[in-house]
Amino acid sequence: MMEMFEYEFMQRAFLVGMLIAVLASVSGTFVVLKRYSMISETLAHSALVGVAVGLVAGFNPLWMAVVVAILSAWLIEYLRSSFALYSDAVLAILLSGSLAIAVIIVSLGGAFNNSLFSYLFGSILAVSDEDVITILVFGGIALSLLLVFSKEFYFIAYDEEVAKTSGVKVKLLNFLLVSVVAIIIALSIRVVGTLLIGALMVIPTVAALQFRVGFLHTSLLSLLFAIISMACGMTLSFYFSLPSGATIVLCVLIIFVFSLIANKK
Amino acid sequence: MSIDFKVPIFDVKNLSFIVRGQNILSDISLEIFNAEYIAIIGPNGGGKTTLIRMLLGLDKPTTGEIKLFGKKLSDFKEWHKIGFVPQRASLVDQNFPATALDIVKMGRVSKRGVFSKETQEDRDAVKDAMFKMDILNLKDKMVGTLSGGQRQRVMIARALASKPEILILDEPNTGVDMVSQKNFYTLLSKLNKEEKITIVFITHDIGVIADDIGRLFTINQKAIICNDPKKAMSCEDMSKLYGIDAHLIHNHRHEH
Repeated sequence: MMEMFEYEFMQRAFLVGMLIAVLASVSGTFVVLKRYSMISETLAHSALVGVAVGLVAGFNPLWMAVVVAILSAWLIEYLRSSFALYSDAVLAILLSGSLAIAVIIVSLGGAFNNSLFSYLFGSILAVSDEDVITILVFGGIALSLLLVFSKEFYFIAYDEEVAKTSGVKVKLLNFLLVSVVAIIIALSIRVVGTLLIGALMVIPTVAALQFRVGFLHTSLLSLLFAIISMACGMTLSFYFSLPSGATIVLCVLIIFVFSLIANKK
Repeated sequence: MSIDFKVPIFDVKNLSFIVRGQNILSDISLEIFNAEYIAIIGPNGGGKTTLIRMLLGLDKPTTGEIKLFGKKLSDFKEWHKIGFVPQRASLVDQNFPATALDIVKMGRVSKRGVFSKETQEDRDAVKDAMFKMDILNLKDKMVGTLSGGQRQRVMIARALASKPEILILDEPNTGVDMVSQKNFYTLLSKLNKEEKITIVFITHDIGVIADDIGRLFTINQKAIICNDPKKAMSCEDMSKLYGIDAHLIHNHRHEH
């Protein structure tokens, strides 16, 4: 079992993977409770535009993914709060729009290759030292923000209007939450991939919700499920040469099914 | 009980609200003073909830001005002084991961500020609010498993946890049984008399609380303010307000 840690790339992948599991599950709890699960899918596709620009123009794709995902998150919040548009419709429009733009950029730049494939589905082989530093720095900031504002995010998720009338800066915090989610998603695509990160964000919380316990216990359960899935997924991915993102998501799905069965009314 | 008629908590002048050419509220002026107990009644769609939403800054009036504690709404910052219990309070999402204690603690969020840790004062305020609402025994229960009446008390405890000077309740009895409703009115009256909390209460159930309330506002696009609620609701008034032929049913509880 420990032999996989003899490889440096696995040490890097595990370090990054664990941080991503923590980030995805903590932010995912607020996203799911706000009934905003689809935003993770949309932002992941927007991040792909950043990756495409990075690959074609020769910038660091991860940095570009962070920038484009944040811009997209702000656009979503702006459209949602300033126009009479349904939230899910805004998310659907931006999801397909982003994918279309990413595909066009990549085809024009002739970068449709294995490198892009690894961003779509995640690859533990692909995590570089530079990625580790980027993920630790941005991930650290994102986690601090989530923890500092957790009581506000929880209140807003419970009842946005009541939170607003009691003096919580709802609009500002909504922008902050989507920005943090955008950063986390962009950082996660190295290991989990754009097409699968949404699952890692949403499923651990939905599985934890089946146990019908208070907020703290739900958050801790969600964290535990995300960490177990990440560890099992990466281990299986290493030994069976499977794409890491898909393996991680299958592990979290198994936990979800067990949670459903164990808590059946 | 002494009501301070000097500085109004809410000072509303010539308030109008027009949506897509339709007058929801027109030219409403009213004042709400410290330690008052006010009931707001009126037909569905008459603008009661809209008025409350504007008082709380959730909707902007088309014309007119609202002052809170002497300050313009846009300059007002001390929102913890106002406790709000919305219409859907007792119809909470069954699956939301929250114990009664989790919900009541939300009442301290804005008063605590962003970086401060939970203090003894916060814990005491939460405990005190739960004690007043008689829900200390429910603190670890999931809100989804509580009855309508219990949930309603949790929501009011949340509003009380910030130690508000005014409590605004928008028909909080939706989905609550009759016995719980009666206890609820007793509680509101007690909060008003003993704690001197100003209460503004939207209701359809005017007969039950007529003894306790100080003033009655009837809202149907315009406002009719009545200083003696016991005499106010004649058949003529009811017909005028609701636009139907009304018959007064006497509430025997008040007859001697």
